[in-house]
Amino acid sequence: MLAVTKLFNKSENMAAIPVSDTRNWLRSVAERRDRHAFEQLYGYFAPKIKGYMLRQGADDASADDLAQETMVQIWRKANHYDPQKAAVSTWVFSVARNLQIDRMRKHKFYEVALNGDTSSNVENLQHNEQLEDCPDTDRLRKLIGELPEEQMDVVQLAFFEGLSHSEVSCRLSIPVGTVKSRLRLAFGKLKLGMGEQI
Amino acid sequence: MKINHHADDATIMAYAAGTVSEGFSLVLTAHMELCSHCRERMSLASDLGGELLSELEPAPMSQEGLSNVLSAIEADTLDPVTPFKSPSVSGEMASILSAYVPHGLDELPWQSLMPGVRQYQLAGIESGNGSVRLLSISPGIRIPHHTHLGGELTLVIEGAYEDEIGHFKAGDLADLDASCNHQPVAVGNRPCICLIATDDKLRFTGLLSRMVQPLIGI
Ligand SMILES: [Zn+2]
Repeated sequence: MLAVTKLFNKSENMAAIPVSDTRNWLRSVAERRDRHAFEQLYGYFAPKIKGYMLRQGADDASADDLAQETMVQIWRKANHYDPQKAAVSTWVFSVARNLQIDRMRKHKFYEVALNGDTSSNVENLQHNEQLEDCPDTDRLRKLIGELPEEQMDVVQLAFFEGLSHSEVSCRLSIPVGTVKSRLRLAFGKLKLGMGEQI
Repeated sequence: MKINHHADDATIMAYAAGTVSEGFSLVLTAHMELCSHCRERMSLASDLGGELLSELEPAPMSQEGLSNVLSAIEADTLDPVTPFKSPSVSGEMASILSAYVPHGLDELPWQSLMPGVRQYQLAGIESGNGSVRLLSISPGIRIPHHTHLGGELTLVIEGAYEDEIGHFKAGDLADLDASCNHQPVAVGNRPCICLIATDDKLRFTGLLSRMVQPLIGI
């Protein structure tokens, strides 16, 4: 019951696909409705999204359907993505998360617009040729990898098992206050490491 | 707008993970529309979600998955570029709230709770066993001492209040957990209007017997 399976795939097979590729694919989808690029995105993200839905408690068929549906939304909303504000994976995660809340939890989820100027993100895509990773995903990945296991367990239960603080507390048999302090410690390290003045 | 009180890091992470109630997401969105400090932390928490997703072990998709998706988008007749409309912030009230308060705070059918305290419950928002309500507290009125079953988020919309934690004015968010006891008192020369979401999602009924019933349901 206490088992928190390791979600990180240390075999590094993901490293074969650089972040810039996913962004180029998404850009082609947004600008040119490029179906080939979309198939690349599908190949990379759909199985991960399905994995996410499974962790949230969907059965295999539902997780497959939800991953398909998320991909359709990615196609339809591709022009909402702003490469200067977020990594592709961040945006894909939010689309998958919102769909999961709508279909599995069956309630609305209010989401604040995190991007500043959103009048035309397609322009941003075009004017951002010498693409630099705006959120430094390599640095973030390294910082996440350095989190102590007990903090990582709590983070993963929240993000993947969809557990609230009190549910994490119950699962791990630790007080809610401990759940929150581990989350704060983990987040503090990420903030510090990312150099955010926040 | 200078904002002094913010969402806790743990709350921000729960929001990014999508595990907060609809009511909490409403109050957090209303605060973050005004608060760049919380928006920045929300960005980082969302990046964390994206990074975790990237590293998640893939689950093989069904054979027909891709063809299903391709035929769904084939049927799309949508214009490829639909302009994205970001919410506009009018005055000091978060735009997300205008749907619930279309004609202004004065026009709401407020209900009297006790002398100097009125409430308006927002309907149709999923909050588990909790609720989302607006509270209007007249200057000098003190809300009776109470504890919470779950967490509580309070966003000040107008006016100000003070409690053991500090001074809260328009835009400030109080992020309280179940262990917190407080006795807010409205200060200034006009009513303090707050948006309050409670989130009591305890599934373990054995605990309930040990809880103190909140005095006025806040
Ligand atoms: Zn804030």
